[in-house]
Amino acid sequence: MSAETILKLDGVGFDYPQLTVIDGLDLTVAKHELVVCVGPSGCGKSTLLSLLAGHLKPTRGTVDRTGQSRTIYQDGGLFPWLTVKENIAGGLPRDTKPDARDKKIAEWLEITRLADFANSYPHQLSGGMRQRVELARALAAETDILLLDEPFSALDYQSRMRMRRELVATLVERPRTVVFVTHDIEEAVQIGDRVLVLGSRPTRVRKVLELPPGRARTPASPGVAEAEQAIMEELGLS
Amino acid sequence: MRRFLLPVVTGLVILSIWWIAWSAGAFPVGTVPSPPEVATAFGEEIASGRLFADIIASLYRVAWGFTAGVLAAVPLGLVIGRSAATRESLMPWINFFRSLSPIAWIPFAIVWFGVGDPPAIFILFIAVFFQITLATSAAVATVPKIYYRVAEDMSLSDADVLFRITLPAIMPQLVTALRVAIGVAWMVVVAAEMIAVRSGLGFLIVDARNGLRMDLVVCGMITIGVIGIGLDILFARLTKIPSVRWGFDR
Repeated sequence: MSAETILKLDGVGFDYPQLTVIDGLDLTVAKHELVVCVGPSGCGKSTLLSLLAGHLKPTRGTVDRTGQSRTIYQDGGLFPWLTVKENIAGGLPRDTKPDARDKKIAEWLEITRLADFANSYPHQLSGGMRQRVELARALAAETDILLLDEPFSALDYQSRMRMRRELVATLVERPRTVVFVTHDIEEAVQIGDRVLVLGSRPTRVRKVLELPPGRARTPASPGVAEAEQAIMEELGLS
Repeated sequence: MRRFLLPVVTGLVILSIWWIAWSAGAFPVGTVPSPPEVATAFGEEIASGRLFADIIASLYRVAWGFTAGVLAAVPLGLVIGRSAATRESLMPWINFFRSLSPIAWIPFAIVWFGVGDPPAIFILFIAVFFQITLATSAAVATVPKIYYRVAEDMSLSDADVLFRITLPAIMPQLVTALRVAIGVAWMVVVAAEMIAVRSGLGFLIVDARNGLRMDLVVCGMITIGVIGIGLDILFARLTKIPSVRWGFDR
C-alpha cells in the first residue's frame, strides 16, 4: 500500500454457506477520504464494512488496513447500561489518564451538543441524540478509520439532514478516513468525496463517481443532480 | 395512596369473612383458630422472643443458600451462554436437575450434612442454583451481537467483555430471575425447616401442629407471607438501580 492508502481490498470475496455475498471486490481508500458505498438493500454493504472492520475474514482476496477503526451502526450500538458520558469514555484509548479523559469527554459533549445530557442513559434520548453519542464515542477514540453503517437511516428527514452536516463539520475539524454505507442516494452524493455504486449479490463495484470538492452539498450544488441521475440509472431506477 | 389502601381493604374483608365464618361455627372445633386467638398467639410469640429468633434463623439460612447459589450459578450461566460446547454438554443436565423438586434432596441433605443449618442451606442452594444458571445462560443468549462488535473495536480483553459487556447487558433479566429465585428460596426454607432443624418458621409451624396449636400455625403462616412480600419488595428495588433501569423503561 502507498503511504496515503489507508484501506485496500484486493479481489475480496466473502461467502456464507451456500451464498456468495461479495465477489472480486477491489477498493482503495486514501487518507482522510470519505467514500460512500451505495447499493440496493441486502447487497452486502454491511458485510463489506464488517470485512473492513476486521469483524469478518474474507473467504478470498486480501484486506489491508493501516490503523484502527471504529464502526457506527444504524442503531443499538450504544451500551444502554452506561450514561452518555460513560459511553463516550468507553471509546477512549484504555491508557488515557483520568484528567485527560474528563477533558476529552467534556470536549466531545460540547462538540456534539450533549453537555446537558451527560448523565442521561441512551433510552432517555431521541434517535438523533443517540446517533450523536455514537459519533462522539467513535471520534473520541481517535482511530484513523471511521466506518458508518447506514448511521442515519433510522432518523426522520430533518434529523438526517442535521446529522449529515454535523458529521461533515466534525470531519473538517477532526479529519478521518471514512467509509460510509447507505442506501440513500441523496445522502451519498451530498457528503461523499467518491461514491461507489454496488450491484446486487454477489457485490461488485458497478460504477465509481468522483464528486466535486466540498462535502456539505445541497441538491443545487454543482454535480449533485448529475451524480444522482447517474446512480439511479446504474441501479435501474430511472 | 390507592396502592396501599386497596390491599388493606381487601385484607380487612378477608379477616371479616374469616371472623364471621368462625363465629357462625362454620369450622369444626380445633381446625381453624379465631382471629383473636391468632392475635394472642402473636403477642405471646413476640413477647417470648421466639418469633424473632425463628425469623432470624430462617433468614440466615436463606441468605447463605441464596448467596451461595447465585455466586455459583451466575459464572456457570455466563460460560454456558457464551460457549456452545459447554451449553450442549451441560444444558440437558441443568434441565434434568432443575425439574427435580429441591424437597427431593432432603434425604441426601440429611445423610450428607446431618442436622442443623447445613442441610437446609444445601437444599436452598439446590433450589436457587439450577434456576439462576438457566436464567443467566438464557439471558446471555439474548445479548445483541452488536455489543460484541463494539467491544471488538475497543479491543477489550475476554475478561472485560464478560464483566463490562455481557454481565451488565443481562442485569435486567438477572434481577428478574433473582426476584423469582428469592421467592422460591423462601418457600423452600419453610419445607426444609419442617424436617432437618429445630428452629425457624417452618419448624414453628410443624412444632405447633404437633402440639395442636392451630393459632400458632396461622401465626407462622402470616409471618412467612409478610416476610415473603418484604423480600419481593426488596428485590424489586434492584430494578431502580440506574444501570439496570434501562431494561424496564424501554
